[in-house]
Amino acid sequence: MSAVVSSDTLQHEKTQKMRRPRLLSAKQREIIRRLGFIATSFLMAFVVWYVVSYYVTGPFLIPPPSKVIAAFFPMAESGQLLNDIGMSLSRVAVGYSFGSVIGLTLGLFMGRVRVLHDLLDPIVQTARFLSPTAMIPIVIIWFGIGELAKYALVFWGTVSLVLINTIAGVLRTPKIRQNAALCLGASEAQIFRLIVLPSAVPFIVIGMRLALASAFVSIIPAELLAADSGLGYLLQQSSLLLQTDRIFVALVVICVVGFLTDQLFYWSTTLFLRRYLAVV
Amino acid sequence: MDMRAEAPSPRTERARRRGGPVFSIKGLLKVFGDDKPYVALKDVELTVENGEFLCLLGASGCGKSTLLNLLAGFEKPSGGELLYNSKPIAGPGRERVMFFQDANAALLPWQTVQQNVEFGLKLQGLLHNQGWRERIEECLELVGLAEHRHKVPSEISGGMRQRLQIARALAVEPDVLLMDEPFAALDAITRRRMHEALLDVWQREKRTVVFVTHDIMEALTLADRIAVMSVGPGSRIAHIIEIKQPRPRNPADPELGHLFAHLEHLLHGVSPEESMQ
Ligand SMILES: Nc1ncnc2c1ncn2[C@@H]1O[C@H](COP(=O)(O)OP(=O)(O)OP(=O)(O)O)[C@@H](O)[C@H]1O
Ligand SMILES: [Mg+2]
Repeated sequence: MSAVVSSDTLQHEKTQKMRRPRLLSAKQREIIRRLGFIATSFLMAFVVWYVVSYYVTGPFLIPPPSKVIAAFFPMAESGQLLNDIGMSLSRVAVGYSFGSVIGLTLGLFMGRVRVLHDLLDPIVQTARFLSPTAMIPIVIIWFGIGELAKYALVFWGTVSLVLINTIAGVLRTPKIRQNAALCLGASEAQIFRLIVLPSAVPFIVIGMRLALASAFVSIIPAELLAADSGLGYLLQQSSLLLQTDRIFVALVVICVVGFLTDQLFYWSTTLFLRRYLAVV
Repeated sequence: MDMRAEAPSPRTERARRRGGPVFSIKGLLKVFGDDKPYVALKDVELTVENGEFLCLLGASGCGKSTLLNLLAGFEKPSGGELLYNSKPIAGPGRERVMFFQDANAALLPWQTVQQNVEFGLKLQGLLHNQGWRERIEECLELVGLAEHRHKVPSEISGGMRQRLQIARALAVEPDVLLMDEPFAALDAITRRRMHEALLDVWQREKRTVVFVTHDIMEALTLADRIAVMSVGPGSRIAHIIEIKQPRPRNPADPELGHLFAHLEHLLHGVSPEESMQ
């Protein structure tokens, strides 16, 4: 055998760990600790909520948790709440998907083609200050108050975030890694597909995660002003009827749905893209 | 086991039959920047012979990496002549594989050890060709990473990552290895092993090696010739020293001691008498 470095000598010796027997592993204890803090955090919020509700504002302006829960059940049972959640989610899904695909594709080209970048970057850098809310009036004129208007507004709230982060990811691909591939015989197309794209994945994922939050932030004002369904519409209707308890139900639902969607995104990217996200 | 000794691949054989120097550098000039130009290299004269092990030795910032990048084709010369096998260097080529000091940036962190070694063959569309599978195995064995083939770079040590870079470079059978301080970050024992492995590969497969270092002892251990660079700006090859000692070289060899003192003098201006004490 021509092996110069014998691999057995390099293998680490298995160290015998001396450990007192414990009921739970370190990982389990860490999870319990985290859950404990999460529970305490919400408990604190509930206590403050109660106190402010009863002693500062009175239960009309800020209904206490008990009233909010009482309002929640009939709304859930009638199916109206679920319907509103579904409507908002479907708008987020469509607008976000288009925004991500366009932002990603354009970002990859802008990061790689200098002329394209220099040509389009000034527009991107200025237009991104137009929030989706600022675009509502003109979008209503263009698309009416149908679904298309909502898709367009969510699209607007997501595309620039994905775009900017994708460009950053492409531009930050280590020059050394590209040079290494070049002298191993890579073509331009191979560099792009096998080096640049995988190297940019962490940035793309960050951009898409920020954009997902932005999509939720964008859909509510759109539905407040121009919709007949969705969580924003629920807020708007409850406000007109001075139903503060229903407003609070909607607010809490927005928090919970947004959080769960973000967690789903996080765990699926960790699961499917783990090798690209690992930091060396 | 070493079938390559009897049947070298066509590419290596071609390189060996070619006469003349591998690199021929005449009056090379490299200037960085436009409005505030910095002359990194000036009047560099150097010839690298086929099958030679050449060390570039010089103080930090003198332009060793710059020269290596020019040889690899990553940078363009600002003036003078830079020939590879009598032809001007137009860009990177797979006959000249660069070995980078920063293994984290050079390797693909999302691929396993084995996939990293296969990467060059994959790029060239040779991965599934006859004989190449054995080549991959041979390279993995050579650097002692066969048992770690399914790990990713973040799961192996710094020294193992450098060995992985060597295996990846060797897999594509380059004619020239360009190495930029490859072992600077390794501990003494691992570095010694790497020296032995590198010399073994070099002697068996007769590649040309240009090896950058600022460690005099490392240069004395490895090189046929040591090219000492002057300090910048406008750095050039100030001295060329031939080492005739047979390998493996013994650091206690008095002849090497003399050379060490001489090089110390050339590099740091310490007179040979002082450094001998
Ligand atoms: N892209 C660049 N632009 C401007 N100046 C540069 C560039 N690359 C290198 N230089 C300059 O050229 C000189 C030589 O740099 P180089 O990296 O080749 O040194 P080195 O000999 O490899 O040093 P070290 O041993 O520290 O790696 C330095 O003064 C450096 O500032
Ligand atoms: Mg250097």
